[in-house]
Amino acid sequence: MDIDLSADDLAFETEVRGFLSENAYTNGANPEEWRMKWFEKAKEKGGWDVPKWPAEFGGPGWTPNQHYIWQKETARAGTPWDMPFGLSMLAPVLMAHGSQEQQERFLPAIRAREVNWCQGYSEPGAGSDLASLKTKAELTEDGKHYVVNGTKIWTTMAHIADWIFCLTRTSDAGIKQEGITFLLFPMKQEGVEVKPIITLGGAHTVNTVFFTDVKVPVENRVGEEGKGWAYAKGLLEHERTGIAGISNSIVALEGLKKRASSVKRGNGSLMDTPSFRSKIAELEIDLMAVEYTELRSLATASAGTAPGPESSILKLKGTEIQQRIQKLTMEAGGEFSAAWGGINSGPDFARAGMGGYMSSRVYTIYGGASEVQKDIITKKVLGIKSTKK
Amino acid sequence: MNFDLTEEQQLVSDSIERFVQDSYNLESRMALVGKGPGFSEAHWKSMSELGWFGLPFSEDDGGFGGNQLDTMILMEHFGKGLVLEPFLASIVLGGGVLKRAANETQRKQWLETVIDGSKQLALAYSEAESGYEPHNVAVAGTKTADGFTITGTKCMVQHGGTADALVVSFRTSGGTTDKSGISLALIPADREGVTVQGFLTVDGLQSAEIAFDKVAVSADDLLGDVGDGFTVLNATINDGILAIAAEAVGAMEVLYKDTVAYTQEREQFDHALADFQVLQHRMVEMFMEHEQCKSLLYRATMEVANGGDDAQRNIHALKHLIGKAAFFVGENAVQTHGGMGVTEELRVGHYFKRLLVIEAQFGNTDYHLDQFAA
Repeated sequence: MDIDLSADDLAFETEVRGFLSENAYTNGANPEEWRMKWFEKAKEKGGWDVPKWPAEFGGPGWTPNQHYIWQKETARAGTPWDMPFGLSMLAPVLMAHGSQEQQERFLPAIRAREVNWCQGYSEPGAGSDLASLKTKAELTEDGKHYVVNGTKIWTTMAHIADWIFCLTRTSDAGIKQEGITFLLFPMKQEGVEVKPIITLGGAHTVNTVFFTDVKVPVENRVGEEGKGWAYAKGLLEHERTGIAGISNSIVALEGLKKRASSVKRGNGSLMDTPSFRSKIAELEIDLMAVEYTELRSLATASAGTAPGPESSILKLKGTEIQQRIQKLTMEAGGEFSAAWGGINSGPDFARAGMGGYMSSRVYTIYGGASEVQKDIITKKVLGIKSTKK
Repeated sequence: MNFDLTEEQQLVSDSIERFVQDSYNLESRMALVGKGPGFSEAHWKSMSELGWFGLPFSEDDGGFGGNQLDTMILMEHFGKGLVLEPFLASIVLGGGVLKRAANETQRKQWLETVIDGSKQLALAYSEAESGYEPHNVAVAGTKTADGFTITGTKCMVQHGGTADALVVSFRTSGGTTDKSGISLALIPADREGVTVQGFLTVDGLQSAEIAFDKVAVSADDLLGDVGDGFTVLNATINDGILAIAAEAVGAMEVLYKDTVAYTQEREQFDHALADFQVLQHRMVEMFMEHEQCKSLLYRATMEVANGGDDAQRNIHALKHLIGKAAFFVGENAVQTHGGMGVTEELRVGHYFKRLLVIEAQFGNTDYHLDQFAA
């Protein structure tokens, strides 16, 4: 057992810190110009603009330790905003299952942050039970197009996306995981209608998307017809590091402590009150443990062995911790967290504190609700099988 | 021993229940939120005609001689409908200070109009750094020939933006956190030097920040004796805690029942969600939390209404349990509704947002735990 980073890792850490401080945002700069310049500089470093892409597709080919260092340092320094859908979700599928023509057609624009993608997975009747999806794709008689009809829901950023990668049903035969086909098509076309869903935080990020006779050329199908479920599932497993947002939570907890120390309670601060103080301590203890759970998971990944049972709890623990940070931030803002914009004398961070908390409730719902994650652990990790006769 | 309502209370309860059922659904509520006064003037008028505003006032003051139990019955129904009208602000809080501290002239001038609903009050006691303590008062009164001038800012004044007059706490002697030296006054909202800025809170209700710049307060405006306001203020806030706790109990009932109904309708993995034992047990716990809150609500309300020695401790216990249960019931109602639970379209999220604001009002869950344990 050894937790020290190697000399190479330490040198890498220094290099990352250097890069992040040299390219940090300076006040007054045009944010969009800075963003594009940042990615350009990162690309020059050897694929740092696409950290998770493999070397053969222009990524940096980092070791798991290097990924961990990158995640830790960027959480602290801040990086330009980015959308994960093309970069982290579609790109790995194209790399593994797309044709060379598709890779050449789509990957460069994703990397250049020129084309925004959204993900067409969930449907009104297919949430946790995603495989029961019903959006139909029928091949035309000449075999040149699919005609897509159906409804997707919770489609993040569908209202600004240029393209969608979409799970569709091409067959009802066999078990429901069969007959699902992975299609790519533009959002800005006739037959695609986007309706906003306003969430309780007051924000518009998710949408319902309706497809009416949308024509998709067969060359926009990824891999084989009816094999889309396997591709999508591989995608869900692709994100091993970073999914729990632990580095971000560590930084957020430091910020929360500072904020709580600035809130007056009696003659001291909120951090001096026994109940709040012990909740912060409990959170910190859980975070200390989950940080090492992630390191254990990374260590098995870097040894090239299959991830151990500890990896399965990262999403559950990580999202729960993110929610607790939002909740304590709201509580630190006290009654001022109730203000919905407008005038408010309370601490600055309290503005819309309850909105932030409400928004965080979705962390344990999207990307596979916690209940579904626990079912998977029950079967795959604990090895419990149904004995129903 | 008996927890039944009297015949009279049952009649009032039935009438409130009918009103909430007939007048409050999500759509009609959302049409009022954030527009104009942020509530329905017509509902306010109906409530006054039904006589509800007189419930917690003595017959001498023109009321029906009820107490905190009557307010509890009403607020529990209000919680089931997410009622927007300023009953808490004007009747329980503003009226609560008046009935305890006002002199004969003030009673004549104000209580009749408060009880008939033609005038509305708000209680301005909280400040940016008061940290939930009602005795932590920095807004200062400076002695003048006829009274005081007061300067400073009051925060999170519920329905302060539409109130005709404000009940204000201010310091006339002692240090910022002393319980003595706090005075109370009734100040018309349009008096010179008063600046009111209303805003919306996440639960769809209205709040305000109110700045006082050398506002003249005469002896006639003072409520009770100079420097002696804390006892009245604290008793009124305790009434407020009982009232919003009852409202929370009503809201939690809707949340757990909606969850039970939804899980029987929604199917995933070829089963109704309600078939999954993990969800069944979770809903049982939501139900248990709601019942426990109801029990402690009854206990605390009776203890306060009967003037028991343990009243303050009961209040701390109640506000703590209500907050803890509000998080549990609200979070699990939203989680069990899945994606739909976090949208504006279903009512569960709206009930949860109201519970969040209740959790933070008059001292949050942690504050009252620390007070109880102290």
